[in-house]
Amino acid sequence: MSSRTETTVRPAARVNKARAVKRNLSGSWLGLILPVFIILLWEYASRSGWVAPHLLPSPTTVVNEMAALAQGGELLGHITITLYRVFAGFLAGAIAAVLLGAATGYVKVIHQLLDPMLQALRAIPSLAWVPLFVLWIGIGEASKITLVAVGVFFPVYLNLTSGIQGIDRKLIEVGRIYNFTSLQQIKKIILPAALPSFIVGLRSGLSLGWMFVVAAELLGASQGLGYLMVYGQNTSAPSLVIGSIILFAIFGKITDEILKRIQTKTLKWQDNLENAS
Amino acid sequence: MLAVHQVSRTFQNGKAGFENINLQLQRGEVVGVLGTSGCGKSTLLRVLSGLDPQFEGSIRTEAERPEEAFGMMFQEPRLMPWLTVLDNVTFGFSKKQKKSEALDLIETVGLQGFEKHYPKDLSGGMAQRAAIARSLLSQPDILLLDEPFSALDAFTKMQLQDLLLSIWEKRRTTTLLVTHDIDEALYLCDRIVIMRGQPGQIASEIFINRSKPRKRGDHRLAELKEEILKELDFTKP
Repeated sequence: MSSRTETTVRPAARVNKARAVKRNLSGSWLGLILPVFIILLWEYASRSGWVAPHLLPSPTTVVNEMAALAQGGELLGHITITLYRVFAGFLAGAIAAVLLGAATGYVKVIHQLLDPMLQALRAIPSLAWVPLFVLWIGIGEASKITLVAVGVFFPVYLNLTSGIQGIDRKLIEVGRIYNFTSLQQIKKIILPAALPSFIVGLRSGLSLGWMFVVAAELLGASQGLGYLMVYGQNTSAPSLVIGSIILFAIFGKITDEILKRIQTKTLKWQDNLENAS
Repeated sequence: MLAVHQVSRTFQNGKAGFENINLQLQRGEVVGVLGTSGCGKSTLLRVLSGLDPQFEGSIRTEAERPEEAFGMMFQEPRLMPWLTVLDNVTFGFSKKQKKSEALDLIETVGLQGFEKHYPKDLSGGMAQRAAIARSLLSQPDILLLDEPFSALDAFTKMQLQDLLLSIWEKRRTTTLLVTHDIDEALYLCDRIVIMRGQPGQIASEIFINRSKPRKRGDHRLAELKEEILKELDFTKP
């Protein structure tokens, strides 16, 4: 009788991993060509006097200035405090978004109760909160972290709720066949199914977080990369401003890359272009 | 094994769904429910499986906990895309306890070697095989199949029908199979219930006294098919 199920199916051949890595590498080298070219052009332009050095100093000048700042340990202080503000704000905003997003996404009454208000609050340009936060919680760390948290909150919240609401009803039904309790439904079906949009929310939340930390530090700080930019502006030192911009770019890219790695790792089950072999 | 007594579930002011269904399933019996679209045959399965609690009438099973009596398989595999095949098969259970059983089932449905693959790597037929294994892991008293192969191509469909037959040979699971494929019902079932009308009612019942596995070209089955087609006569109101 076993002959009736003679269909044998074999696992697909594994993708040649080494080749894939090689291909990725050559891909990232390709992405470097343009930035390197621009930096070389910039350096040449400054040295040959095409642009005024007091407006656009050459890359080497910027690097030298920043290195000098770093040697005194001053730069590290600025970087640390900015990173601290971003991370603390990101964590606070993301946690609040997860709690509220899960509640509004899963419980309809809470959605009807909270969502209209949150959507209305979202319409306020977040920088408009700055004066109020400064009034309420003063000019210290708390107001800056709160501002970053507000920035992080909305993208995470919106993505999480729309992720939960977009879950395939058919998968929920499978849970009901298994007589899952609400908690089991959340844990085994809803959270994993909403994970992709949650991570997208985290990534856009993080980039907003970086934006808001700059805003907060521009408006009132005595330390941090944003403060360094204001200081550079006031002392007519464009190399400080450009150096800070570059550092923001580097740290923004690193933190986003971390989230992106987590994303690829946890979402390798997704049937999309990125995972296509 | 299962006694359905005067069960009704209607929608749209009684114009859709089904009403006054009486149905008994003996242990180990495979019963097919045939009907034109809209006669409420899928709704019947949703009611039996507990997905649709708003019905009238009584449903009795022999299970101690009635809500655990049924296993269900849908038209689509409905695998969790974030779980591997093995994790999908053990879904809803502790993986530790059920692992060896799950591996057995995976082998039974012909998916050995794919335990660690994600659903995106499976073809439609393979995904449905995994769904079969998942629905059997709980060892349900009654297996409900809702047009399980209607989305598959003809050859895959035949393979999976044969797979079901060989599983039944081993496990003797009582099964209720909803389908609109007359050949499938004739090939797999001991008895066929025909539903008609809107809301649907049981119009007739046909016993197929042929030992399984049957030949797909059996002339007796062809005669029965003729009979069923007459019974389903689409021109009748």
